Amino acid sequence: MLIDDTIYGYAVARVKAMETRLLDQGHFERMINSSNTDEALKVLSETAYSAALAELEDAYNFEAVLGDELSYTFNTVLNISPVPELIEMLALRYDIHNLKVLFKAKFLGVKSDLLIPVGSMELSKLEYAVSEDNYLFLPGKLRRSANSINEDFMLNRDPQIIDLILDQVLYEQLMASAREHDSQFLEGLFVRQIDLSNLKTLIRIKRMGLNRDFLTRVLLPNGSLSVHRLTAMIDEPVESLISMLAISDYADLVSEGVREWSEKGSASLLEKLSDNFITAYLKEGKWVPFGIEPLVGYLWAKELEIKNIRIVLVGKINKLPAESIRERMRDVYI
Amino acid sequence: MEGIAIAMLGVALAVGLAGSGSAIGIGIVGQSACGLISEDPDKFGQTLLLQALPGTQGIYGLLAGFLIMQDIGIVGEELVELTVWQGYAFLMAALPIAIAGFSSGIYQGRVLASSINLIAKRPEEMGKGIVYAVMVETYAVFALLATILMLFGIDV
Repeated sequence: MLIDDTIYGYAVARVKAMETRLLDQGHFERMINSSNTDEALKVLSETAYSAALAELEDAYNFEAVLGDELSYTFNTVLNISPVPELIEMLALRYDIHNLKVLFKAKFLGVKSDLLIPVGSMELSKLEYAVSEDNYLFLPGKLRRSANSINEDFMLNRDPQIIDLILDQVLYEQLMASAREHDSQFLEGLFVRQIDLSNLKTLIRIKRMGLNRDFLTRVLLPNGSLSVHRLTAMIDEPVESLISMLAISDYADLVSEGVREWSEKGSASLLEKLSDNFITAYLKEGKWVPFGIEPLVGYLWAKELEIKNIRIVLVGKINKLPAESIRERMRDVYI
Repeated sequence: MEGIAIAMLGVALAVGLAGSGSAIGIGIVGQSACGLISEDPDKFGQTLLLQALPGTQGIYGLLAGFLIMQDIGIVGEELVELTVWQGYAFLMAALPIAIAGFSSGIYQGRVLASSINLIAKRPEEMGKGIVYAVMVETYAVFALLATILMLFGIDV
Protein backbone atom coordinates (compact mmCIF):
# COMPACT_ATOMS: atom_id res chain seq x y z
CA MET A 1 0.00 0.00 0.00
CA LEU A 2 1.06 3.54 -0.69
CA ILE A 3 2.14 5.26 2.50
CA ASP A 4 0.14 8.43 3.09
CA ASP A 5 2.76 11.09 3.71
CA THR A 6 0.17 13.87 3.94
CA ILE A 7 -0.26 13.07 7.64
CA TYR A 8 2.71 15.44 8.08
CA GLY A 9 0.81 18.39 6.58
CA TYR A 10 -0.41 19.83 9.88
CA ALA A 11 2.88 19.52 11.72
CA VAL A 12 5.00 20.91 8.89
CA ALA A 13 2.76 23.95 8.35
CA ARG A 14 2.75 24.63 12.09
CA VAL A 15 6.53 24.39 12.28
CA LYS A 16 6.82 26.77 9.31
CA ALA A 17 4.69 29.28 11.21
CA MET A 18 6.82 28.79 14.33
CA GLU A 19 9.99 29.31 12.28
CA THR A 20 8.95 32.90 11.63
CA ARG A 21 9.46 33.61 15.34
CA LEU A 22 13.05 32.38 15.39
CA LEU A 23 15.64 35.08 15.97
CA ASP A 24 17.26 36.27 12.77
CA GLN A 25 20.70 37.67 12.06
CA GLY A 26 19.41 41.19 12.72
CA HIS A 27 18.40 40.40 16.31
CA PHE A 28 21.78 38.85 17.01
CA GLU A 29 23.64 41.78 15.46
CA ARG A 30 21.74 44.20 17.69
CA MET A 31 22.49 42.07 20.74
CA ILE A 32 26.18 41.89 19.85
CA ASN A 33 26.38 45.65 19.26
CA SER A 34 24.51 46.56 22.44
CA SER A 35 26.59 48.36 25.02
CA ASN A 36 26.05 45.96 27.94
CA THR A 37 24.22 42.85 29.12
CA ASP A 38 21.06 44.70 30.08
CA GLU A 39 20.82 46.22 26.61
CA ALA A 40 21.30 42.80 25.06
CA LEU A 41 18.58 41.34 27.25
CA LYS A 42 16.31 44.19 26.21
CA VAL A 43 16.71 43.19 22.56
CA LEU A 44 15.89 39.63 23.55
CA SER A 45 12.75 40.75 25.36
CA GLU A 46 11.38 42.11 22.07
CA THR A 47 11.30 38.56 20.72
CA ALA A 48 9.48 35.31 21.50
CA TYR A 49 11.37 35.25 24.80
CA SER A 50 9.62 38.34 26.15
CA ALA A 51 7.10 36.56 28.42
CA ALA A 52 9.70 34.31 30.01
CA LEU A 53 12.18 37.15 30.50
CA ALA A 54 9.54 39.38 32.10
CA GLU A 55 8.95 36.81 34.83
CA LEU A 56 12.64 36.52 35.52
CA GLU A 57 13.68 38.17 38.78
CA ASP A 58 17.42 38.10 38.27
CA ALA A 59 18.22 38.91 34.64
CA TYR A 60 21.51 37.07 34.83
CA ASN A 61 19.71 33.83 35.53
CA PHE A 62 18.82 33.54 31.84
CA GLU A 63 19.84 29.86 31.69
CA ALA A 64 16.50 28.94 33.27
CA VAL A 65 14.67 30.73 30.45
CA LEU A 66 16.74 29.00 27.78
CA GLY A 67 16.18 25.58 29.37
CA ASP A 68 12.43 26.12 29.58
CA GLU A 69 12.32 27.30 25.98
CA LEU A 70 14.13 24.17 24.77
CA SER A 71 11.88 21.94 26.82
CA TYR A 72 8.76 23.71 25.53
CA THR A 73 9.96 23.45 21.92
CA PHE A 74 10.78 19.76 22.19
CA ASN A 75 7.44 18.90 23.75
CA THR A 76 5.52 20.92 21.16
CA VAL A 77 7.25 19.24 18.23
CA LEU A 78 6.80 15.86 19.91
CA ASN A 79 3.08 16.49 20.37
CA ILE A 80 2.37 17.62 16.82
CA SER A 81 4.50 14.99 15.10
CA PRO A 82 2.27 12.38 13.41
CA VAL A 83 5.02 9.82 14.07
CA PRO A 84 6.08 10.73 17.61
CA GLU A 85 8.60 7.87 17.76
CA LEU A 86 10.84 9.69 15.28
CA ILE A 87 11.05 12.73 17.56
CA GLU A 88 11.01 10.73 20.76
CA MET A 89 14.25 8.96 19.87
CA LEU A 90 15.98 12.34 19.78
CA ALA A 91 15.22 12.82 23.49
CA LEU A 92 17.97 10.32 24.24
CA ARG A 93 20.52 12.99 23.29
CA TYR A 94 19.38 15.12 26.22
CA ASP A 95 19.36 12.16 28.60
CA ILE A 96 22.92 11.38 27.62
CA HIS A 97 23.94 15.01 27.97
CA ASN A 98 22.45 15.13 31.46
CA LEU A 99 24.16 11.88 32.43
CA LYS A 100 27.51 13.24 31.23
CA VAL A 101 27.01 16.39 33.28
CA LEU A 102 25.96 14.44 36.36
CA PHE A 103 28.85 11.98 36.16
CA LYS A 104 31.40 14.74 35.67
CA ALA A 105 29.94 16.75 38.53
CA LYS A 106 30.09 13.68 40.74
CA PHE A 107 33.67 12.71 39.92
CA LEU A 108 34.96 16.25 40.09
CA GLY A 109 32.99 16.89 43.26
CA VAL A 110 31.21 19.99 41.96
CA LYS A 111 27.62 21.01 41.45
CA SER A 112 26.72 21.61 37.82
CA ASP A 113 24.13 23.97 36.36
CA LEU A 114 24.42 22.64 32.83
CA LEU A 115 21.54 20.17 33.10
CA ILE A 116 18.85 20.43 30.41
CA PRO A 117 15.25 19.95 31.57
CA VAL A 118 14.42 17.84 28.49
CA GLY A 119 14.66 14.15 27.84
CA SER A 120 12.86 10.86 28.14
CA MET A 121 13.88 10.37 31.77
CA GLU A 122 13.10 12.68 34.64
CA LEU A 123 16.02 14.76 35.83
CA SER A 124 15.43 13.98 39.48
CA LYS A 125 15.57 10.26 38.72
CA LEU A 126 18.84 10.65 36.83
CA GLU A 127 20.28 12.72 39.65
CA TYR A 128 19.26 10.09 42.15
CA ALA A 129 20.69 7.27 40.01
CA VAL A 130 24.10 8.88 39.63
CA SER A 131 24.42 10.06 43.22
CA GLU A 132 23.36 6.70 44.67
CA ASP A 133 25.05 4.51 42.03
CA ASN A 134 21.72 2.86 41.40
CA TYR A 135 21.02 2.50 37.70
CA LEU A 136 18.22 -0.05 37.89
CA PHE A 137 15.62 2.02 36.10
CA LEU A 138 17.89 2.93 33.17
CA PRO A 139 17.26 0.96 29.96
CA GLY A 140 19.54 -2.07 29.43
CA LYS A 141 22.47 -0.70 27.43
CA LEU A 142 22.58 2.54 29.34
CA ARG A 143 22.61 0.68 32.65
CA ARG A 144 25.60 -1.43 31.62
CA SER A 145 27.58 1.58 30.41
CA ALA A 146 26.76 3.58 33.52
CA ASN A 147 28.27 0.75 35.53
CA SER A 148 31.32 0.55 33.29
CA ILE A 149 31.87 4.30 33.62
CA ASN A 150 32.16 3.85 37.35
CA GLU A 151 34.69 1.06 36.96
CA ASP A 152 36.67 2.79 34.22
CA PHE A 153 36.90 6.00 36.13
CA MET A 154 38.32 4.24 39.16
CA LEU A 155 41.11 2.93 36.91
CA ASN A 156 41.83 5.88 34.64
CA ARG A 157 40.71 8.91 36.61
CA ASP A 158 39.99 10.60 33.31
CA PRO A 159 36.62 12.35 32.94
CA GLN A 160 36.86 12.24 29.12
CA ILE A 161 36.08 8.54 29.31
CA ILE A 162 32.54 9.49 30.37
CA ASP A 163 31.86 11.28 27.08
CA LEU A 164 33.35 8.50 25.03
CA ILE A 165 31.41 5.67 26.67
CA LEU A 166 28.08 7.49 26.73
CA ASP A 167 28.40 8.65 23.11
CA GLN A 168 28.78 5.03 22.08
CA VAL A 169 25.48 4.08 23.69
CA LEU A 170 23.82 7.18 22.27
CA TYR A 171 24.75 6.66 18.64
CA GLU A 172 24.28 2.91 18.72
CA GLN A 173 20.73 3.48 19.96
CA LEU A 174 20.01 6.34 17.55
CA MET A 175 21.22 4.39 14.51
CA ALA A 176 19.17 1.37 15.55
CA SER A 177 16.04 3.50 15.95
CA ALA A 178 16.55 5.26 12.62
CA ARG A 179 16.95 1.91 10.85
CA GLU A 180 13.97 0.44 12.64
CA HIS A 181 11.77 3.29 11.38
CA ASP A 182 13.43 3.21 7.98
CA SER A 183 14.24 6.91 8.07
CA GLN A 184 17.08 7.62 5.64
CA PHE A 185 17.03 11.27 6.56
CA LEU A 186 17.67 10.58 10.25
CA GLU A 187 20.25 7.94 9.39
CA GLY A 188 22.05 10.52 7.26
CA LEU A 189 21.98 12.94 10.17
CA PHE A 190 23.39 10.41 12.64
CA VAL A 191 26.10 9.23 10.23
CA ARG A 192 27.28 12.83 9.91
CA GLN A 193 27.19 13.34 13.66
CA ILE A 194 29.14 10.12 14.16
CA ASP A 195 31.78 11.22 11.64
CA LEU A 196 32.15 14.60 13.32
CA SER A 197 32.38 12.98 16.73
CA ASN A 198 35.00 10.50 15.49
CA LEU A 199 37.11 13.26 13.97
CA LYS A 200 37.04 15.12 17.27
CA THR A 201 37.88 11.96 19.20
CA LEU A 202 40.81 11.25 16.90
CA ILE A 203 42.31 14.71 17.41
CA ARG A 204 41.65 14.61 21.13
CA ILE A 205 43.30 11.22 21.59
CA LYS A 206 46.22 12.32 19.45
CA ARG A 207 46.71 15.36 21.61
CA MET A 208 46.43 13.29 24.79
CA GLY A 209 49.13 11.02 23.41
CA LEU A 210 47.14 7.83 23.91
CA ASN A 211 47.73 4.79 21.75
CA ARG A 212 46.00 3.13 18.82
CA ASP A 213 44.29 0.43 20.92
CA PHE A 214 42.53 3.01 22.98
CA LEU A 215 41.39 4.86 19.88
CA THR A 216 39.97 1.71 18.30
CA ARG A 217 38.00 1.12 21.45
CA VAL A 218 36.36 4.54 21.57
CA LEU A 219 35.71 5.35 17.90
CA LEU A 220 32.03 5.01 17.01
CA PRO A 221 31.00 2.46 14.39
CA ASN A 222 28.48 3.20 11.57
CA GLY A 223 30.17 6.40 10.37
CA SER A 224 30.94 7.07 6.72
CA LEU A 225 34.66 7.42 7.51
CA SER A 226 35.85 3.95 8.36
CA VAL A 227 37.27 3.32 11.81
CA HIS A 228 40.21 1.59 10.15
CA ARG A 229 41.17 4.65 8.09
CA LEU A 230 40.81 6.92 11.09
CA THR A 231 42.95 4.80 13.40
CA ALA A 232 45.68 4.74 10.75
CA MET A 233 45.92 8.51 11.22
CA ILE A 234 46.90 8.35 14.89
CA ASP A 235 50.64 8.42 14.29
CA GLU A 236 50.48 10.63 11.20
CA PRO A 237 50.79 14.42 11.22
CA VAL A 238 47.61 16.48 10.97
CA GLU A 239 48.47 17.38 7.36
CA SER A 240 47.93 13.81 6.20
CA LEU A 241 44.49 13.74 7.83
CA ILE A 242 43.68 16.91 5.93
CA SER A 243 44.86 15.44 2.64
CA MET A 244 43.04 12.16 3.31
CA LEU A 245 39.76 14.03 3.64
CA ALA A 246 40.49 16.60 0.92
CA ILE A 247 37.90 15.20 -1.44
CA SER A 248 35.29 14.38 1.19
CA ASP A 249 32.45 16.56 2.48
CA TYR A 250 34.58 17.29 5.51
CA ALA A 251 37.42 18.94 3.57
CA ASP A 252 36.83 22.56 4.64
CA LEU A 253 35.85 21.62 8.15
CA VAL A 254 39.02 19.63 8.69
CA SER A 255 41.44 21.98 6.96
CA GLU A 256 40.20 24.99 8.95
CA GLY A 257 38.95 23.53 12.21
CA VAL A 258 41.48 20.80 12.82
CA ARG A 259 44.37 23.02 11.81
CA GLU A 260 43.26 25.70 14.25
CA TRP A 261 42.91 23.08 16.97
CA SER A 262 46.36 21.64 16.44
CA GLU A 263 48.05 25.03 16.01
CA LYS A 264 46.28 27.15 18.60
CA GLY A 265 44.96 24.42 20.87
CA SER A 266 41.37 25.63 20.69
CA ALA A 267 38.56 23.33 19.56
CA SER A 268 35.98 26.10 19.36
CA LEU A 269 36.33 26.69 15.60
CA LEU A 270 35.93 22.97 14.88
CA GLU A 271 32.87 22.85 17.14
CA LYS A 272 31.35 25.77 15.30
CA LEU A 273 32.11 24.35 11.85
CA SER A 274 30.63 21.02 12.95
CA ASP A 275 27.39 22.73 13.95
CA ASN A 276 27.31 24.62 10.65
CA PHE A 277 27.89 21.34 8.80
CA ILE A 278 24.84 19.77 10.44
CA THR A 279 22.80 22.92 9.78
CA ALA A 280 23.69 22.72 6.10
CA TYR A 281 22.52 19.09 5.97
CA LEU A 282 19.24 19.85 7.73
CA LYS A 283 18.61 22.84 5.46
CA GLU A 284 18.39 20.43 2.52
CA GLY A 285 15.17 19.06 4.01
CA LYS A 286 13.79 22.43 5.03
CA TRP A 287 11.15 22.70 2.30
CA VAL A 288 9.98 19.09 2.27
CA PRO A 289 6.18 19.58 2.38
CA PHE A 290 5.32 16.21 3.92
CA GLY A 291 7.99 14.61 6.10
CA ILE A 292 9.90 14.57 9.36
CA GLU A 293 12.69 16.78 7.93
CA PRO A 294 11.29 20.25 8.77
CA LEU A 295 10.41 19.08 12.30
CA VAL A 296 13.91 17.88 13.04
CA GLY A 297 15.26 21.00 11.35
CA TYR A 298 13.19 23.25 13.58
CA LEU A 299 14.37 21.47 16.73
CA TRP A 300 17.96 21.91 15.63
CA ALA A 301 17.29 25.56 14.73
CA LYS A 302 15.96 26.19 18.21
CA GLU A 303 18.94 24.47 19.81
CA LEU A 304 21.32 26.63 17.77
CA GLU A 305 19.36 29.76 18.60
CA ILE A 306 19.70 28.98 22.29
CA LYS A 307 23.39 28.26 21.81
CA ASN A 308 23.83 31.59 20.03
CA ILE A 309 21.93 33.51 22.69
CA ARG A 310 24.15 31.92 25.32
CA ILE A 311 27.30 32.83 23.35
CA VAL A 312 26.20 36.46 23.05
CA LEU A 313 25.03 36.88 26.65
CA VAL A 314 28.05 35.16 28.16
CA GLY A 315 30.22 37.28 25.87
CA LYS A 316 28.45 40.43 27.03
CA ILE A 317 28.76 39.49 30.70
CA ASN A 318 32.47 38.89 30.24
CA LYS A 319 32.77 42.08 28.18
CA LEU A 320 34.24 40.35 25.14
CA PRO A 321 34.73 42.53 22.06
CA ALA A 322 31.95 42.26 19.44
CA GLU A 323 34.28 40.67 16.91
CA SER A 324 35.18 37.70 19.08
CA ILE A 325 31.52 37.08 19.95
CA ARG A 326 30.66 37.21 16.27
CA GLU A 327 33.25 34.64 15.28
CA ARG A 328 31.86 32.13 17.79
CA MET A 329 28.30 32.45 16.48
CA ARG A 330 26.73 29.56 14.56
CA ASP A 331 25.00 30.04 11.19
CA VAL A 332 21.25 30.45 11.63
CA TYR A 333 18.88 27.89 10.10
CA ILE A 334 16.39 30.38 8.63
CA MET B 1 -32.82 0.21 -23.81
CA GLU B 2 -29.78 -1.74 -22.49
CA GLY B 3 -27.43 1.21 -23.06
CA ILE B 4 -28.87 3.36 -20.30
CA ALA B 5 -27.12 1.50 -17.44
CA ILE B 6 -23.73 1.82 -19.15
CA ALA B 7 -24.24 5.54 -19.70
CA MET B 8 -25.13 5.92 -16.03
CA LEU B 9 -21.87 4.25 -15.06
CA GLY B 10 -20.24 7.12 -16.94
CA VAL B 11 -22.19 9.63 -14.86
CA ALA B 12 -21.20 7.84 -11.66
CA LEU B 13 -17.50 7.80 -12.56
CA ALA B 14 -17.37 11.43 -13.67
CA VAL B 15 -19.08 12.74 -10.54
CA GLY B 16 -17.64 10.18 -8.12
CA LEU B 17 -13.98 10.05 -9.12
CA ALA B 18 -13.53 13.75 -9.85
CA GLY B 19 -15.36 14.48 -6.61
CA SER B 20 -13.07 12.14 -4.67
CA GLY B 21 -10.03 13.87 -6.15
CA SER B 22 -11.38 17.19 -4.91
CA ALA B 23 -12.28 15.82 -1.50
CA ILE B 24 -8.79 14.37 -0.98
CA GLY B 25 -7.12 17.53 -2.28
CA ILE B 26 -9.19 19.81 -0.07
CA GLY B 27 -8.53 17.50 2.86
CA ILE B 28 -4.76 17.70 2.39
CA VAL B 29 -4.80 21.50 2.21
CA GLY B 30 -7.10 21.63 5.24
CA GLN B 31 -4.63 19.69 7.39
CA SER B 32 -1.81 22.06 6.51
CA ALA B 33 -4.05 25.08 6.98
CA CYS B 34 -4.94 23.96 10.51
CA GLY B 35 -1.25 23.74 11.36
CA LEU B 36 -0.70 27.30 10.21
CA ILE B 37 -3.86 28.68 11.86
CA SER B 38 -2.99 27.20 15.24
CA GLU B 39 0.07 29.49 15.28
CA ASP B 40 -1.24 32.41 13.21
CA PRO B 41 -5.07 32.69 13.16
CA ASP B 42 -5.00 35.93 11.15
CA LYS B 43 -4.23 34.00 7.99
CA PHE B 44 -7.61 32.25 7.95
CA GLY B 45 -8.89 34.18 4.93
CA GLN B 46 -5.85 33.39 2.84
CA THR B 47 -5.84 29.70 3.72
CA LEU B 48 -9.55 29.39 2.96
CA LEU B 49 -8.97 30.65 -0.57
CA LEU B 50 -6.14 28.15 -1.07
CA GLN B 51 -8.20 25.32 0.35
CA ALA B 52 -11.09 26.00 -2.02
CA LEU B 53 -8.98 25.63 -5.18
CA PRO B 54 -8.97 21.81 -5.49
CA GLY B 55 -12.78 21.98 -5.38
CA THR B 56 -13.01 22.74 -9.08
CA GLN B 57 -12.37 19.16 -10.21
CA GLY B 58 -15.51 18.04 -8.41
CA ILE B 59 -17.47 20.80 -10.12
CA TYR B 60 -16.14 19.75 -13.55
CA GLY B 61 -17.13 16.16 -12.82
CA LEU B 62 -20.61 17.20 -11.77
CA LEU B 63 -20.92 19.33 -14.90
CA ALA B 64 -19.93 16.42 -17.14
CA GLY B 65 -22.29 14.10 -15.26
CA PHE B 66 -25.10 16.60 -15.64
CA LEU B 67 -24.58 16.90 -19.40
CA ILE B 68 -24.79 13.13 -19.78
CA MET B 69 -27.90 12.92 -17.59
CA GLN B 70 -29.52 15.57 -19.74
CA ASP B 71 -28.60 13.75 -22.96
CA ILE B 72 -30.02 10.44 -21.78
CA GLY B 73 -33.13 11.95 -20.23
CA ILE B 74 -32.50 11.20 -16.56
CA VAL B 75 -33.24 14.84 -15.97
CA GLY B 76 -36.15 15.76 -18.24
CA GLU B 77 -39.40 14.19 -19.31
CA GLU B 78 -38.52 10.62 -20.26
CA LEU B 79 -35.55 8.28 -20.72
CA VAL B 80 -33.97 8.17 -24.18
CA GLU B 81 -33.79 4.79 -25.95
CA LEU B 82 -30.02 3.91 -26.07
CA THR B 83 -28.29 1.04 -27.81
CA VAL B 84 -25.40 -0.69 -26.01
CA TRP B 85 -22.89 1.10 -28.23
CA GLN B 86 -24.41 4.49 -27.49
CA GLY B 87 -24.21 3.63 -23.80
CA TYR B 88 -20.49 2.82 -24.15
CA ALA B 89 -19.93 6.07 -26.01
CA PHE B 90 -21.27 8.01 -23.02
CA LEU B 91 -19.12 5.97 -20.65
CA MET B 92 -15.97 6.66 -22.69
CA ALA B 93 -16.79 10.35 -22.90
CA ALA B 94 -16.99 10.50 -19.09
CA LEU B 95 -13.55 8.93 -18.53
CA PRO B 96 -11.22 11.91 -19.21
CA ILE B 97 -12.68 14.11 -16.47
CA ALA B 98 -13.11 11.13 -14.15
CA ILE B 99 -9.44 10.13 -14.37
CA ALA B 100 -7.79 13.54 -14.66
CA GLY B 101 -10.17 15.03 -12.11
CA PHE B 102 -9.17 12.40 -9.55
CA SER B 103 -5.41 12.72 -9.96
CA SER B 104 -5.24 16.48 -10.50
CA GLY B 105 -7.40 17.12 -7.42
CA ILE B 106 -4.94 15.22 -5.22
CA TYR B 107 -1.81 16.73 -6.71
CA GLN B 108 -3.26 20.21 -6.67
CA GLY B 109 -3.93 19.67 -2.98
CA ARG B 110 -0.28 18.75 -2.42
CA VAL B 111 0.94 21.85 -4.22
CA LEU B 112 -1.44 23.98 -2.18
CA ALA B 113 -0.28 22.41 1.09
CA SER B 114 3.20 23.63 0.13
CA SER B 115 1.67 27.02 -0.65
CA ILE B 116 0.34 27.06 2.91
CA ASN B 117 3.94 26.57 4.10
CA LEU B 118 4.92 29.36 1.73
CA ILE B 119 2.42 31.87 3.14
CA ALA B 120 3.37 30.86 6.68
CA LYS B 121 6.68 32.58 5.98
CA ARG B 122 5.82 35.00 3.17
CA PRO B 123 2.12 35.88 3.08
CA GLU B 124 2.79 38.46 0.36
CA GLU B 125 3.78 35.68 -2.06
CA MET B 126 0.40 33.93 -2.00
CA GLY B 127 -0.25 34.77 -5.66
CA LYS B 128 2.75 32.70 -6.73
CA GLY B 129 1.56 29.76 -4.67
CA ILE B 130 -1.77 29.94 -6.47
CA VAL B 131 -0.09 30.11 -9.89
CA TYR B 132 1.73 26.82 -9.20
CA ALA B 133 -1.55 25.19 -8.27
CA VAL B 134 -3.28 26.55 -11.37
CA MET B 135 -0.67 24.77 -13.51
CA VAL B 136 -2.15 21.51 -12.21
CA GLU B 137 -5.65 22.81 -12.87
CA THR B 138 -4.86 23.11 -16.61
CA TYR B 139 -5.07 19.37 -17.06
CA ALA B 140 -8.43 19.07 -15.37
CA VAL B 141 -9.67 21.76 -17.78
CA PHE B 142 -8.26 19.88 -20.78
CA ALA B 143 -9.96 16.71 -19.59
CA LEU B 144 -13.27 18.50 -19.19
CA LEU B 145 -12.87 19.91 -22.70
CA ALA B 146 -12.27 16.44 -24.13
CA THR B 147 -15.27 15.06 -22.26
CA ILE B 148 -17.57 17.82 -23.56
CA LEU B 149 -16.33 17.49 -27.16
CA MET B 150 -16.90 13.74 -27.05
CA LEU B 151 -20.39 14.22 -25.64
CA PHE B 152 -21.28 16.64 -28.44
CA GLY B 153 -20.25 14.01 -30.95
CA ILE B 154 -22.72 11.38 -29.71
CA ASP B 155 -25.99 11.13 -31.70
CA VAL B 156 -29.02 10.03 -29.75
